[in-house]
Amino acid sequence: MIIIEKLEVSYDKLHNVIDSLSINLSENAIHGIVGLNGAGKTTLLNSIYGLISINSGLIRFNDKKMNKKEVSFLETENYFYSNITGREYLSLFKNINYDLDKWSQLFLLPLDTIIDDYSTGMKKKLALMGILKQDKPLMILDEPFNGLDIETCRIIRQILLKLKDRNKTIIITSHIIETLTNLCDYIHYLEKGKIKFSKEKIEFSEFEKELFASIENKNRLLINELIV
Amino acid sequence: MIQAFIKIRFFQIYRAIKGLGIIRSCLLLGLFVFVAFILFIQSSKYPNSLYVAGIYLLILILIQFKRSDKQFLKVHFNNFKRILLIEYMLLIIPLFICFIYNKQWQPLLLSVILLFVIVNINFRFKSLSLNTLIQRLIPSSCFEWKSGIRKNLLLIVPLFVLGLGTSFYIGSVPIVIFILGIIPFGFYEKGESLQMLLASEMGASGFLFNKILMQLILFSILVVPLIIAFIIFHYEIWYIAVIEYIIFISTHVYIIFTKYSFYQPNVKASGTQAFGIIGAMGVLFPFFIPIVWLLSFLFYFKSKKNLNFYLNDYN
Repeated sequence: MIIIEKLEVSYDKLHNVIDSLSINLSENAIHGIVGLNGAGKTTLLNSIYGLISINSGLIRFNDKKMNKKEVSFLETENYFYSNITGREYLSLFKNINYDLDKWSQLFLLPLDTIIDDYSTGMKKKLALMGILKQDKPLMILDEPFNGLDIETCRIIRQILLKLKDRNKTIIITSHIIETLTNLCDYIHYLEKGKIKFSKEKIEFSEFEKELFASIENKNRLLINELIV
Repeated sequence: MIQAFIKIRFFQIYRAIKGLGIIRSCLLLGLFVFVAFILFIQSSKYPNSLYVAGIYLLILILIQFKRSDKQFLKVHFNNFKRILLIEYMLLIIPLFICFIYNKQWQPLLLSVILLFVIVNINFRFKSLSLNTLIQRLIPSSCFEWKSGIRKNLLLIVPLFVLGLGTSFYIGSVPIVIFILGIIPFGFYEKGESLQMLLASEMGASGFLFNKILMQLILFSILVVPLIIAFIIFHYEIWYIAVIEYIIFISTHVYIIFTKYSFYQPNVKASGTQAFGIIGAMGVLFPFFIPIVWLLSFLFYFKSKKNLNFYLNDYN
């Protein structure tokens, strides 16, 4: 269980990006975090992982302080050192049970080519392979589907569902709500640094309708004024 | 529009200086004044003025090769060459002032003509996927060396062979060691991603120790054969190659400490670049080496503190 209590994070003294956020995330499940741009999704993930200092609050994983040894984190923007090959990048992560060639067969990656020559999607796949190789009990994935083709998105979905069956806990964000409703066990809606509500799988379809309707209603007037 | 561009450049410089803090900025300013003084002295007489122009223009050519905004400028602005020209003009103004003051018209004219040539250079070195035995022999954790060797292999191998083959000439080995010693400076320019940093699963001290140890081992493998050859042929002045080696390993250690003192994931920190200049000065002017040692000592603690933020769970 991941317990987050009264978490507060800010980049300046004026306002909190994460504002007294409390949530319990169950183990062996896939949790989706959704929210509009600037809602604080990446900040929340960064604070769970310990990448930014928190002002106050508590983050615990299995009754212990969150430790990087138990977490792998896929950032939104993946950065690679120039002039190294995909194989060399993956060799940084230690896991003797990881069958590199089979994984690359799945993702169709030219592992002996330098990463600089990879496309955006290929880089994303490589970063994800690195995360999968680390094989940690908790995986945090910030926008893992960005820039990927339909086939790879589907493959990743299958992989994540399998990992959940192998007792992994996954926290994932996406701008494409359909990718989350098809995958997650729970979806948590983040607004202005707070979890506004959490929904279980059976409530997803209703949640989706409500969310789209609310967004459309909010902007209808202005769009009508702009495009006459 | 060009004014807006220049304004942006000044903002960039201003923010970079602001990020460095007052003391470091003063130190850097002192260094620039020193370099400007050397520039002024060297540009007063022919043919030194020609060499100075050559070095300056070479730096501008390298900038033109390496800058990553060429495509952006070409796509969005019709007069992108004018933007490039004005930027380079601003960079070369100190040199022009020196030439005009010292009445060095020939190098001045040459510099102006070559500036127009430089803005027309539109060529990028294509990175090669060289997978030789050398890369395989380098440990996985030394990704800087894997990357750097791949990038510079076609320069390093001929240089090494040339240095070894002509080691009976007195200047040959020191020059080759100098070039081979400069190359690793570029290996530590960029901050690696967080995943790469954490992959070692070591605490800050262990991580730094390992980085330095591997740097020393790999650099020594590269230059020790050359040093031995130099000692064999010029045993009466054996200390020249040894001192050069010590200067380089000192600056390499310093560069590693500066990199991790200012390390942020995925970022080419301005602090690393600014203080890297002091390291480069140590190589060019050996009387800077005590400063390099002193700063290495200070940056060791700073880098440890900075890395602790990311690696504290592995302590």
